Amino acid sequence: MKTIPPSCPEPEVGAKYWRSLDQLADTPEFRQWVEREFPSGASEFNDPVSRRHFAKIMSASFMLAGLGLAGCRKPEEHILPFSKKPQGYVHGVPQFYATARPTRSSAVPLLVKSHDGRPIKVEGNPKIPGGNGGTDTYTQASILNLYDPDRAMRFAKGGATASRDEAFAYLSETSAKFAANGGAGLAFLVERSSSPSRERLQKAIAAKFPKAKWHVFEPVDLDIHRKAATLACGRGVRPDYRFENARRIVSLDCDFIGAEQEAYRYIRGFANGRKLSSPNDEINRLYVIEGLFSLTGTNADHRLRVAPSHVVCATARLLQEIAGGDAGSHVQRLAAEFKGDAKWIVECAKDRRSSEKQGKSLILAGHQQPLEVHWMALAINQALGNLGSTVAMLPAPIVKEGSIEDLAASLNAGQVDTLVMLGVNPAYTAPVDLEWSKAQAKAKAVIRWAYYEDESAAGVTWHLPAAHYLESWGDARSGDGTLVPVQPLIEPLFGGVTDLEVLARLAGLDVTKPYEIVRETFGGLISNGNFEENWKKFLHTGFWPGSALKPVKAAVNLDQVNDKLATATVAPLPSTQQLEVIFHRDNKVDDGRYNNNGWLQELPDPITKMTWENVILMSPKTAKALGLEIKNRENNQLFVPVVKIQVNGKEIEGPAWTQPGQADNTVALALGYGRNKTGRVGHGSGYDAYQVRVAATPHIATGAKLSDTKKTHGLATTQDHWAMEGRPIVREANLKQYQEHPNFARFMNLEEPPIVQSMYPNPLDARKKDALHQWGMVIDLNACVGCSACSIACQSENNIPIVGKEQVTRHREMHWLRIDRYFTSDPKLPEDQKVDDPQVVMQPMLCQHCEAAPCENVCPVNATVHDEEGLNLMVYNRCVGTRYCSNNCPYKVRRFNFFDYNKRTPEQLKGPFYPNPVTGEVAGEWGVTQWLKDPAQGYRTGDEWDLLKMSKNPDVSVRMRGVMEKCTFCVQRLEQAKISKKIKAGASGDVRLKESEGNIPQTACQQACPAGAIVFGDVSDPQSQVSQQKANSRDYAVLEFLLTKPRLTYLAKVRNPNPEMPDYREYPLSVEEYSKAAHANPFESHSGAPAADGKGHEAHGSKKGAH
Amino acid sequence: MGYQPVQPVAFSHEIHAGQLGIDCRYCHDGVEKSWYSNVPAASVCMNCHNQVLKEDPRLELVRESAATDKPIPWVQIHKTPDYVYFNHAVHVNRGVSCVECHGKVNHMEEVQQAKPFSMAWCLECHRHPEQRVRHPDDVYNLDLQISPDEQKKKGAKFVHDFNIQSLENCSACHR
Repeated sequence: MKTIPPSCPEPEVGAKYWRSLDQLADTPEFRQWVEREFPSGASEFNDPVSRRHFAKIMSASFMLAGLGLAGCRKPEEHILPFSKKPQGYVHGVPQFYATARPTRSSAVPLLVKSHDGRPIKVEGNPKIPGGNGGTDTYTQASILNLYDPDRAMRFAKGGATASRDEAFAYLSETSAKFAANGGAGLAFLVERSSSPSRERLQKAIAAKFPKAKWHVFEPVDLDIHRKAATLACGRGVRPDYRFENARRIVSLDCDFIGAEQEAYRYIRGFANGRKLSSPNDEINRLYVIEGLFSLTGTNADHRLRVAPSHVVCATARLLQEIAGGDAGSHVQRLAAEFKGDAKWIVECAKDRRSSEKQGKSLILAGHQQPLEVHWMALAINQALGNLGSTVAMLPAPIVKEGSIEDLAASLNAGQVDTLVMLGVNPAYTAPVDLEWSKAQAKAKAVIRWAYYEDESAAGVTWHLPAAHYLESWGDARSGDGTLVPVQPLIEPLFGGVTDLEVLARLAGLDVTKPYEIVRETFGGLISNGNFEENWKKFLHTGFWPGSALKPVKAAVNLDQVNDKLATATVAPLPSTQQLEVIFHRDNKVDDGRYNNNGWLQELPDPITKMTWENVILMSPKTAKALGLEIKNRENNQLFVPVVKIQVNGKEIEGPAWTQPGQADNTVALALGYGRNKTGRVGHGSGYDAYQVRVAATPHIATGAKLSDTKKTHGLATTQDHWAMEGRPIVREANLKQYQEHPNFARFMNLEEPPIVQSMYPNPLDARKKDALHQWGMVIDLNACVGCSACSIACQSENNIPIVGKEQVTRHREMHWLRIDRYFTSDPKLPEDQKVDDPQVVMQPMLCQHCEAAPCENVCPVNATVHDEEGLNLMVYNRCVGTRYCSNNCPYKVRRFNFFDYNKRTPEQLKGPFYPNPVTGEVAGEWGVTQWLKDPAQGYRTGDEWDLLKMSKNPDVSVRMRGVMEKCTFCVQRLEQAKISKKIKAGASGDVRLKESEGNIPQTACQQACPAGAIVFGDVSDPQSQVSQQKANSRDYAVLEFLLTKPRLTYLAKVRNPNPEMPDYREYPLSVEEYSKAAHANPFESHSGAPAADGKGHEAHGSKKGAH
Repeated sequence: MGYQPVQPVAFSHEIHAGQLGIDCRYCHDGVEKSWYSNVPAASVCMNCHNQVLKEDPRLELVRESAATDKPIPWVQIHKTPDYVYFNHAVHVNRGVSCVECHGKVNHMEEVQQAKPFSMAWCLECHRHPEQRVRHPDDVYNLDLQISPDEQKKKGAKFVHDFNIQSLENCSACHR
């Protein structure tokens, strides 16, 4: 038996170590020792020190640390068991609870994992009808908000901390006061909500305070879909789109994959319609008319660039084509204003007019478009028989509500005595012409319930901390109307309250506990059967089966639509002097509500790949016309010009950035950044687009001017190189070519080096014979839409730290799973036109788990090795940080933890990271002097660290600095599944996980993917889904010619363009780029072989490098 | 090895598990379900001790804990580093007895660490499971008598019948 060395105290990094030295510095032994050894140096502690001195002092201190602690002793640690164990609780076994994340006027049904009382991972509820467990980035990241150290943590009266009881007493007082006068002078400003309980409380308030005013405000209001449908159909309805029925889809500036509500559901339906298991399958076709390049635009088969203000003309033109002579005079008038490619619209209309497509198409208008576009879209849907098929009209009550403009007017008129704000942050988000802060100050008292003490908290009478949804009792309706519970997984960490409680107290109700309120509402809605049984079932399943709203019959009258267009006008086409401004919901921080969420801040934007801030986007042509030179590299850092935008009589400055494929002469400003008062993560990120946004033109403003300020600004983007340079990284074909050449993906295989007998056989080949499973993954590039939910899910599951903007500029981001976005263009076009109408491909890139992994060969310490099940393992404890593996990885998926990113404070995320302890100077002070004054500086405080630790997954090591890390295929989930199976097997040999038994775990990315694009499983089981996917003729490996034999392969993308369209190309642009680089078209060089079944091509496919 | 701290309550495994023959799982009830084998709640002690030795001063801390929700600060003896993911449940359910890692606790007046808990020591068993594996029914019988020859014979059969792999890859314990 090996003898073990005496165990030492755990080597604490940084903070603790220095702290203990600091304490030691005050002991007499230390002083005596220093004086004996460094009589003259002792006084230099507070002075700038030389490197030599620093080293001397430090080495002395190290020795003393050893002496002073009197050797290494095992520290005494305690186990503190329960005094009474809760029933059914087993320490260490995670529990799952069904709940939901409320969104604007919907909710995402969830299943949340709780480890020893701490919620740690959010997943979609897979049991919800039609659900696949997929979610979106906001939902995946929302768990980090729960542990945000900057959230509102106190009840505050006039800015000073007060007690909860005082706050509640004030609410009761307010209630009593307004009960006397019927609510005159009482006004509410709230965010949207789908909660039946809140609706009930709102009614109670309206009954008790008939004169009170109820105002709803959302800076990005997605309610326009309901409003348009209700006005057009003459009854209370809202559209719910059924993508699974749609074969032809036209998006009129509608980013249903990104910016619209329910994106995760729509992605699911859309992606299901794009999946191909054989060349004979049919897939849907997506046409997009838009100005800003959206996620939906990147997935389009045909995309028409139109300034957003002219989408109304394009829509009218489309309606005219489809309705023919029935299109009214105003439609004709608007259609005549369309200045784009008429043939595009004509052919697009033809494609969906054919009779077999009746009810099989879907026309969508985006939330940023005016009502007119929505009405015409509804009219087209009606003409094509889509209402009731792809567009379900769900009943939606018509509610009377005021706008924020009305409220600002009554505030300014002095009609508001008490203002109650629930969740909104108007001081930041309200239209700038309302001058909200001044208006808010005119109320005698302001009660605000919110998650942060932010901009709008200034000057309020009472500030109540909001509970996170994982701390709250509540209810909601999901997109199709299904009733879902919001169930808490943890007591409010900082004593937050829910909006239901605030409203109930204001209404003066007897029942004020949210739990009781929700139960009461549920009892009112579901009255048949035993209440307690129903309630238990409701909480257990996470939704009430069959509660989805039944679609109602609704029709749109074309003539009425035409009449409604009477007042519609069209702005002149934008020019370089009269630019058009697009205000858009940000893909990461939404309207600013996730501004302090580090995961989202650091997530590269799906299109621009920008992190930590927003930029002013414009097309490359516009930038050139305006004389801006965008890309400048200095010391490998990216600097761009700062430009000034003048619009609506206001101005802002921000960094300019070019976006290929954006409509010319438009500039796009993302909302949600540049906040004055936010948490420490969001502080100082980006510019504030709200400062030029007015009530009249919230989404599209015209007549803007841009000028160069001659300043520059550094950006942090993770992928500023746009092109694949003709390499076959992402492979694609058009549907026609796929039908002719089902195994086209392999045509692009490069010539493999001649295979000679290896001197060392791959040990995996022998070891895998005894293994129970062989893990593998397939990603279907035809289903992937690039939404990035997988990336955040991976971050949450695997304890991946954020690194801050400064480190991203050095390409040190830690994401184990990134999404590569490539623009492809026609190689024949001149250089400056190439980026006008590019095609886009997205490719999730993570560790490929190569069977012959190049990283393993070069590790000097065996820190990355293979197991017998085909996983490329990373052994953190062996890693010494040579980074050879990363250098040798052809896929660049290994990440190195350069600093102790986990322990960095939010301030430190802003950098600079190099206060060289000896020679570096920060804020006029030497690094070392700062260090000696405050050794804990730069590290999180104990409390904050404890809070952050709560969010970590206990099944995954939190890596420290100096260690390489990468995707593990969620090895912790695999091991847990294997262990569970073995426990069940007990004294039997049945230990193999089988897909047929449903016990193969999902990886975090796979589970979060709303499109179902990622399939993981056992490739040694021929029946498994992953094996069947790998047998698909579109399957290919990236950089296969390196003979790395990746376990992760991709299914090539298939586009479905319409040959009649003016922008039709026979081949996807990436193929044209490839052909140019390879001097041969892969399809043409294979055209001689028999086509129908592709069998003839297998020979070609395997004869590598035939071209 | 040999670490034997003084515990806050003079609890004797020898009396409870040895002489009285209480099953390990009466107190450590999570061992078959979780990665973690729990130290029992004070209320579990009180199941018997509200009748037996009701007034004994040695049990003062237990009574106080059960009454006040204040946990008893037991001193941890066996500890794996935080980068090791050891799972109790899979070992005890598949025929690795408590005694293999913890020694004959049922003969310990005060518990001490009987085995080295080093990685090399873990791997000894992981490389040669047949030398230790027994039938899952015998896992909690810490006094099982078996000759080395018999163990070898039976062990090899168990390894074959239970489909036990000798897991030596890193991910088995490090994630």
